[in-house]
Amino acid sequence: MNSKRRKLLQALGGTGILAAAQPWTSAPAFAQNTPLRVGIIAPRAGIAGTIGECGLRGTQFAVDHINSTGGIAGRKVELVVEEETNPKDSIERLRKLVLQDKVDCVQGIVSSGVSLAMGPVAEDMKALVIFWDGTTQDGVKETMPDKHYAFCSTDNECEAVMSSLLAVKHWKGQFKTVAGINPDYSYGRNNFAAFQALLKKFGIEHQVVADQWPKVGTTDLNSHVAALKAAKPDLVFSSLLFADLPIFMRTAHGAGLMDGNTKFVFPAAGFQHTALKKSFTPPGMIFGHNTLYFDYAKGSDLQKKFVQWYHEKTNDYPNWEADRAFFAMAIYKAGVEAAHKAKGGWPGKEDVISAMEGVKVQSLGGPGMMRKDHIAEQTFYQGITTHDNKYDFPTLGTVDVMYSDQLQKGTGQDFWKWIETANIKM
Amino acid sequence: MKIAAVLVAFVAVAALPRVLSPYHVTLVLPALAYSIALLGFNLLFGYTGLLSFGHALFVAIGGYGAAVLSSKLGLRSFEAILLLSAAAAVAVAIPIGLLAVRYVKIFFGILTLAFGMLFHSFLFKFYDLTGGDTGIRVLRPSLLGRAYEDLDKTTWLVGPFYYYCVGLLAVLAFVMWRLVHSPFGLHLVATRENRRKAEYLGVRVRFFRLIAFSISAFYGAIGGAILAVNTGQADPELAYWTHSGELVFMTVLGGFGNFFGPIVGAFSFIFLKDQLVGLTQYWRFWLGAILILIVVLFPRGLSGLVERMWARLHRSTPS
Amino acid sequence: MTAFLDVVLGGVFHAAVLFLVAAGLQLVFGVQKIVNLACGSFYALGAYFGISAVSWCLAHGMAPALFLPVLLVAGLVAGLIGPFIEALLLTVYHRDEAFQLLLTFALVLMFQDVLRFFWGADPQQLGDLVMTYGRVKVGALQVPTYNLLVIGASVAIAAGLGAFLQKTRFGRILRATAENREMSLAMGVNVRWVYASVFTLGTMLGTVGGALVVPTAAASLDMPVELVVEAFAVVVIGGLGSMRGALAGALVVGLLRAAAISWYSELEMLAIYLVVIGVLVVRPGGLFGRPLE
Repeated sequence: MNSKRRKLLQALGGTGILAAAQPWTSAPAFAQNTPLRVGIIAPRAGIAGTIGECGLRGTQFAVDHINSTGGIAGRKVELVVEEETNPKDSIERLRKLVLQDKVDCVQGIVSSGVSLAMGPVAEDMKALVIFWDGTTQDGVKETMPDKHYAFCSTDNECEAVMSSLLAVKHWKGQFKTVAGINPDYSYGRNNFAAFQALLKKFGIEHQVVADQWPKVGTTDLNSHVAALKAAKPDLVFSSLLFADLPIFMRTAHGAGLMDGNTKFVFPAAGFQHTALKKSFTPPGMIFGHNTLYFDYAKGSDLQKKFVQWYHEKTNDYPNWEADRAFFAMAIYKAGVEAAHKAKGGWPGKEDVISAMEGVKVQSLGGPGMMRKDHIAEQTFYQGITTHDNKYDFPTLGTVDVMYSDQLQKGTGQDFWKWIETANIKM
Repeated sequence: MKIAAVLVAFVAVAALPRVLSPYHVTLVLPALAYSIALLGFNLLFGYTGLLSFGHALFVAIGGYGAAVLSSKLGLRSFEAILLLSAAAAVAVAIPIGLLAVRYVKIFFGILTLAFGMLFHSFLFKFYDLTGGDTGIRVLRPSLLGRAYEDLDKTTWLVGPFYYYCVGLLAVLAFVMWRLVHSPFGLHLVATRENRRKAEYLGVRVRFFRLIAFSISAFYGAIGGAILAVNTGQADPELAYWTHSGELVFMTVLGGFGNFFGPIVGAFSFIFLKDQLVGLTQYWRFWLGAILILIVVLFPRGLSGLVERMWARLHRSTPS
Repeated sequence: MTAFLDVVLGGVFHAAVLFLVAAGLQLVFGVQKIVNLACGSFYALGAYFGISAVSWCLAHGMAPALFLPVLLVAGLVAGLIGPFIEALLLTVYHRDEAFQLLLTFALVLMFQDVLRFFWGADPQQLGDLVMTYGRVKVGALQVPTYNLLVIGASVAIAAGLGAFLQKTRFGRILRATAENREMSLAMGVNVRWVYASVFTLGTMLGTVGGALVVPTAAASLDMPVELVVEAFAVVVIGGLGSMRGALAGALVVGLLRAAAISWYSELEMLAIYLVVIGVLVVRPGGLFGRPLE
């Protein structure tokens, strides 16, 4: 498995070498039979490295497909891959892609810390950027109020909203005290706040008895679990999503936190689904798989083909970042081709941008679109877990499917107001 | 001769935007910022002999100063931002310095590291105040009262802002030059060479170290403010200990025994890192390997290497 | 009461982990006066190596219950990298401390990519292996047996090290060399050899620690840089170079962290740094260190 991954990364890295070998003061290539250059910025090391690699595979799958079926409006796609690290360095990578490699479009970014810092820079630089993920709604509202060059994914809070709805639907009246253990950054903070706001909206009286904020990447959660156990909650809400999620699960199971009747809600479990082994992950929890649930029986042929391709390459099953990456590429392709057709020739950046507004695509996980305010709409999958499957990790016993227009605020609305007033159709 | 060389280098740096692509000019900006920060750092390290492994603390104060002043308090004048951020850094440096200058060597390094990490966890944990891991946006400031609203960010960065920073580096380098060649600078070197002897000669060792520490904080914050304006964001990584490590790396790469060493170090580090990141995903490995080479084979850094070659050249040409 | 014990147990477990990282750091500093920033990298190396060794053995039909000895051996084997690193450090023994610190900083950078090259970017975990040994239940108190084993191993290593340093001939040579290098040289001690073995021993403490703890946690590329800071807190509180200090410092940091998490979780790390600074102000040498100039 490792050697396969390295090969993929080498293949992807190879395009990076090509780009870097260019002279320092390169003239823009204008010939239209040259490949379209798409820059990708994704994490490749550290705690989000897995996620970045899964996304890169989604991109690879999309590009293989595009290049073998005539490219984007006749032009093949060439990737230039750069590493997402901290905000400062990642922004320097963006500058390199845009100013030096002269890419036509930049896609990627997993961490909201990076995307929220990068958005304004992209606007300043007039660089077309499509974010895979990492766009918490208030952050986007603050740092990218009038997006023109940046295109955001669905609000990060969608998954928290959906699993809160499921918690209300399935467990109303069965819990009074709630506890949270969420990653210590805007994503985790917003998710837990959204959960509480939704409980309030549905008139569920509750009391928060513990809230824990472990730093992303903490590998020893014994003390956090002890604090949760001491609070004796009826329900635990946790949007942990990196390697700390399996650790939490194992630690909580070991300490007996899961022995009683406590309910568990994991809106982002899908990032780690295959690492949550049955032996320490009891069934009956709410798991969020975001925009791609690999085992969805009614999934499209495209999804099934991808899951099989992915499994052959990695002996693993993909998470939603692959879908986000595929979606970003699909939106870009649809935009360029629509603009190309409308103009009857190769479109400029502004043409592509206006064509991408409102464009609809089929992504791996299901239908999606790009709203006029540059926020994506996609299909979400969550449900209650079961052990009744052929894998060594739980899957969804019942699958709820929701389109994100029921899960995120509309254009120009305030998120917290929207939660109060929205008429959500389950 | 030396003055001529400095002037040539200065003119060359000022002319870079005419030769280089905009991307490489935006790379020079952090190099300028680090040059300023490292001039201060080297007053402490090279001249006073105190190795701070938490110096990123002051760079972060400069960055967050620019962020808070520009986007929370609406202050747009870059001169005011620089002065206030640097003043904040000095205000923080004095109490820390009072504690830290009692130690030398590794203990000084560890204590400063602890303070740097203290600030990092404050930035990281107090989400409502500091924006947590995302940090705070830095809005584009006005330079000498001019806003340049007609320029987009890249043009502004590689145009007015670039020349502003070059000018700032020239001024601050000149001030530092005067400082290290003043009696104060000589006293610092004396305290490094032999503490007892310095005391005997009437040098108040701790007091002088404290002053050096505060000045280095001042320079660090100015560098940090430039860095943050360039990125458009101040984030907690600025204060993380590995960033402090990079500062030491740059200084040793350039050579801490030479006044201009840190500037050489800042420029070569930035371009080295950019090239490596473009070439391989294993750039950390090669960066580390180069650092080991420098430490083992060329402890006087690049500037030491140049000095040696220069000396050899002079010996061979009859004068 | 159970809740209190849970919190204490969580703290002691973290202390056990920290002691294993800090012990190597202390040993090397005590004798060689080198602060090794790469101690966290050794720990990570042990963790990754342990995972691979156990996975390999399981794939070749080993009974899951035997994973503990495999981890121990893997940790010891990974520690054999010590002499090679020490040979590199040899070049800076007589140089300024800045160079020693930088050299180990360079190792931190290099190790991160070496680990990534061999094990990839994904954090690695051992699945549910830790539950093979079951859980210990006393009333409402419940804890995985393996956590107690880690605490026990840490205590055993601490005791073993203490006895080794106090009672054996080699231990006495070590302490003498730490005390006065020139004198030891004059007495005919092979300092070269002493340094190499001390550094290897320090490395093994780290790699064995990493291998032992990994079933309860994960091996990730971020681990080294995160751990170093906590290990530093431990040795500063305990006093640089002192083994007893490492033990005391680890307990202070572990329990303090556990208390902060259950009382006001925002203070998790802040509290630790505040104590570090407090100790340095009040007792500059640390709890068990010597007073400084």
